[in-house]
Amino acid sequence: MRITSAEHLTQLQKEYQKEAAKFPRKILVCLGPGCLAAGSDRIYDAFLNHIAQRNIKGITVEAVKKTGCHGLCTQGPLVTIEPDGLFYTRIQAKGVPEIIEKTLEKNEVITKLLYSTPGKSQKIEKWADIPFYSHQMRIGLRNVGQIDPENIKDYVAVGGYQALAKALTMTPEQVISEVKTSGLRGRGGAGFPTGKKWETCRKVDSDIRYVICNGDEGDPGAFMDRCIMEGDPHSVLEGMIICAHAVGSISGYIYVREEYPLAILNLQKAIEAAREFGLLGKNILGSGLNFDIKISRGGGAFVCGESSALMRSVAGEVGEPRAKYIRSVIKGLHDKPTVLNNVESFATVPVIINEGGKKFASIGTPRSTGTKAFSLAGKINNTGLIEVPMGISLREIIFDIGGGIPDGRKFKAVQTGGPSGGCLPESKLDLPVDFDSLTEAGSMMGSGGMIIMDDRTCMVDVAKYFLGFLVEESCGKCVPCREGLYQLHALCVRITEGKGEPGDLELMEKLSKYIQLGSLCGLGQSGPNPFMSTLEHFREEYEAHINHKKCPAGVCRALIKYEIIDACTGCLACIPVCPVGAITGEKKKKHFINQAICDQCGSCYAVCQFDAIEVK
Amino acid sequence: MVTITINGKAVQANEGEMLLAAIRRQGIDTPALCHHDAIEPCGSCRLCMVEITKKEWEGWTRSVTSCLYPVEPGLIVSTHTPQLLELRKTILELYLARSSQSEVIQKMAEDYGITHSSFPVIPDGDDCIMCYACTRICEELGCFAISAVDRGHDKKVSGPLRQPPPDCIGCLSCAHICPTGFIKWQDLDSTRTIWERQFELLSCRTCGKRTITRDFAEYLMKKRNLPAAYFELCDDCKRTETAKTMGKIVVAAQEVLK
Amino acid sequence: MKYRFIVDPVLCTGCRTCELACAFSHARNLKQGRSRIYPLTHEKDKYVPVVCLQCDDAACVKSCMFDALRRNEETGAIDLDVARCVKCMACIAACPFGCALVDEVHNEIVKCDLCKGDPACAHFCPSKALRYTKIAVR
Repeated sequence: MRITSAEHLTQLQKEYQKEAAKFPRKILVCLGPGCLAAGSDRIYDAFLNHIAQRNIKGITVEAVKKTGCHGLCTQGPLVTIEPDGLFYTRIQAKGVPEIIEKTLEKNEVITKLLYSTPGKSQKIEKWADIPFYSHQMRIGLRNVGQIDPENIKDYVAVGGYQALAKALTMTPEQVISEVKTSGLRGRGGAGFPTGKKWETCRKVDSDIRYVICNGDEGDPGAFMDRCIMEGDPHSVLEGMIICAHAVGSISGYIYVREEYPLAILNLQKAIEAAREFGLLGKNILGSGLNFDIKISRGGGAFVCGESSALMRSVAGEVGEPRAKYIRSVIKGLHDKPTVLNNVESFATVPVIINEGGKKFASIGTPRSTGTKAFSLAGKINNTGLIEVPMGISLREIIFDIGGGIPDGRKFKAVQTGGPSGGCLPESKLDLPVDFDSLTEAGSMMGSGGMIIMDDRTCMVDVAKYFLGFLVEESCGKCVPCREGLYQLHALCVRITEGKGEPGDLELMEKLSKYIQLGSLCGLGQSGPNPFMSTLEHFREEYEAHINHKKCPAGVCRALIKYEIIDACTGCLACIPVCPVGAITGEKKKKHFINQAICDQCGSCYAVCQFDAIEVK
Repeated sequence: MVTITINGKAVQANEGEMLLAAIRRQGIDTPALCHHDAIEPCGSCRLCMVEITKKEWEGWTRSVTSCLYPVEPGLIVSTHTPQLLELRKTILELYLARSSQSEVIQKMAEDYGITHSSFPVIPDGDDCIMCYACTRICEELGCFAISAVDRGHDKKVSGPLRQPPPDCIGCLSCAHICPTGFIKWQDLDSTRTIWERQFELLSCRTCGKRTITRDFAEYLMKKRNLPAAYFELCDDCKRTETAKTMGKIVVAAQEVLK
Repeated sequence: MKYRFIVDPVLCTGCRTCELACAFSHARNLKQGRSRIYPLTHEKDKYVPVVCLQCDDAACVKSCMFDALRRNEETGAIDLDVARCVKCMACIAACPFGCALVDEVHNEIVKCDLCKGDPACAHFCPSKALRYTKIAVR
């Protein structure tokens, strides 16, 4: 079926809303990456089977929906029952009959499945009351977790493609001016004003222009784009089509990494459905606009998130950056003007068109408008996906939304901006989260990954990890990045092994400076950031490693030893887990670790229930 | 013509050319390892970096690779600021840590007063500095036989899948363009060995002197429409033949004129 | 009107002045270079100065994959851009007259460049067997 006009689209929207209203009660099963890993697909099947078997009034299999990520991944698998807003956590497939029986049939709430704030016993029934959700503001993620991503009707029913219909009544210049008014800055990390990018692209004289969506989310611990592509692919498509109208493009690509098979699948289904509905292809919505999108699958190289490397990869060449003295918006894919935006940026565009740029600009800070999605990972209670207005403080994100640090440990640092970002210590927690403040503090916004670390994290080890990641992911084209990061990493390894020498830090600082200055692309230019920011805020930790041969956090294996203290009850638990057989002892007598054999693996430390093993 | 300022001196540069060409024309020694006129610049060695600014930039400067930056009117270029010298020294030290045996690198480092690297020498380092000159010249030739495989520090130039390159024609362009002489080859009797492949060398029909490989000659015949007869003799014998042919023509002409 | 280099073997006496003139006009560091011209004998006391003919449809230009050999419109010579040359020897193998040469001393490819518009060989040729004159070119 083809939608031929804006009126036709509105008519369809009403039709689908009516259809949806037949099932007032909806069971939304989260099939986001976290819940899926915990087996939520089996839960979905269980709901379908059991509902099909029973005959419950007002509940049919159509009411069970698989959706994208709900956000609170740490509590998964998650199920939301709408319109009640009931929020069930940690569901197992065998618990599904109970939910159907009690909640769906008898309207009873199953208390044991409810969420409770870490450290408190009080159970919260509705998701909207959970602090994790109540502090959020969802624009880019508006439909993620609410609709079935595989069903275009769901998207149309919630007002999807209405922004496109509206944009098509506007001139391209009006669309660009609206986006400029919104102050939207690229969500991929660099924060380039989107409206300006589109305007530049439109002004370049060329027969062909391309629109590319960057879905090559490579930062460790980041999954915002993945969740949008998996959970609400149509919003990305809609944003791209609006962009195509604005810049005058007929061909678009979505570059997705091969590691996201579900995102590719859902996008592919969305593209096919959009083509069938006449939202892609020739004469979109009867407006005369021609535009089609292809999916380009990347091999999962981190550097392919860099614009010039990405465009080379799309063109089928080796994904290596090239020097950008001519910007890709003027000479990009196949040397034609190209707009490259992040998934989140495109997903935000329909809202800007619908609600107006001014309204969007009123959210956030004057120079960083709107909202930003973040993924919380690491030592934090509420691991998951969030979206907050810009300008919110790090403290609010970590403690109010994230629920603080588990096990009552102390907060030490938060890593923002992915491997090329930096670590911010507690003193920077009240920093507003926006593009400029984070850059000023020595970190960066990046694509929105946030890794939280507690006091058991060694910052030298963290720097070593991220540098190691960058050494692996450096494309190897230019020397400062290929050889410089390798040497920086090697020096870091040397320090963690207790072989650091005085003067190493100065050498590393100098090297970092010239890697930043001399590298070809953003990967190298920001490559030393993990080292630079940890050194700036945790210099004493580096010095302890080098001068005193001590790892204060007790992480670096070459610099610590495990010792059994008097709290030992002689339970024998640690003896069998030691892989090298270093622990000896008898029942009910204090055990002993032979330091000559011990290789500091930490297995005994992990298994001891009496805190009788100490790291020294 | 475009007027730019290099190290305080106003000079003329050709429109569309890169800064490096304009700088070198002034006799200013800007080191570069990956640059060669026959190939597209790629900016991998980072040694030719210069600092640029413009009057209207209000003191803001930018460091760019001069081999890749096209000249612009009013550009103010500095090639030897203290920062750039330090950058080059650091890069040369990094090179020296990887290719400690390379004479070219040693010589270049010595010019900058560096005799040893502050960084640990990489044990499995070789003389390949990954400047891509070989792969770029192969692309220019139209063969695409070799390319950089793998990524990061493990990157290597090789044929596809680290196998001997099937599309290689044994022309030695890569070996000759390599700035450190890392690409090894050997001509033995009528066989040339390069990239673990063997090629038959053509021999002069008259004197037996070896010329180029058969694959290369056939490639030239096909690509550039040259007759096979051109490749039958060596240059010495071809000159002798030319003298004979021209002599015959002259004699014949003289006969006619008599 | 264009300049053309004319070789007239009838006038050649085989004095080899041209060879000397060429070697010295291409001298480098006060050492003579490789001569680009060969006065060869084909019959007793009959000589032909073999030198690049700057062919219109030159095999050397065709054979160069890197565009290092290009016609200099001013002098009419096919000039070798040493900076673009990678010494693949294609021109040497392809030139049917054997007039692209290897300078083993400097490890370079060399060929006649008509001395940038004032050929030393023609200048010094005592018998005027080598001439560089203006002729009408279509």
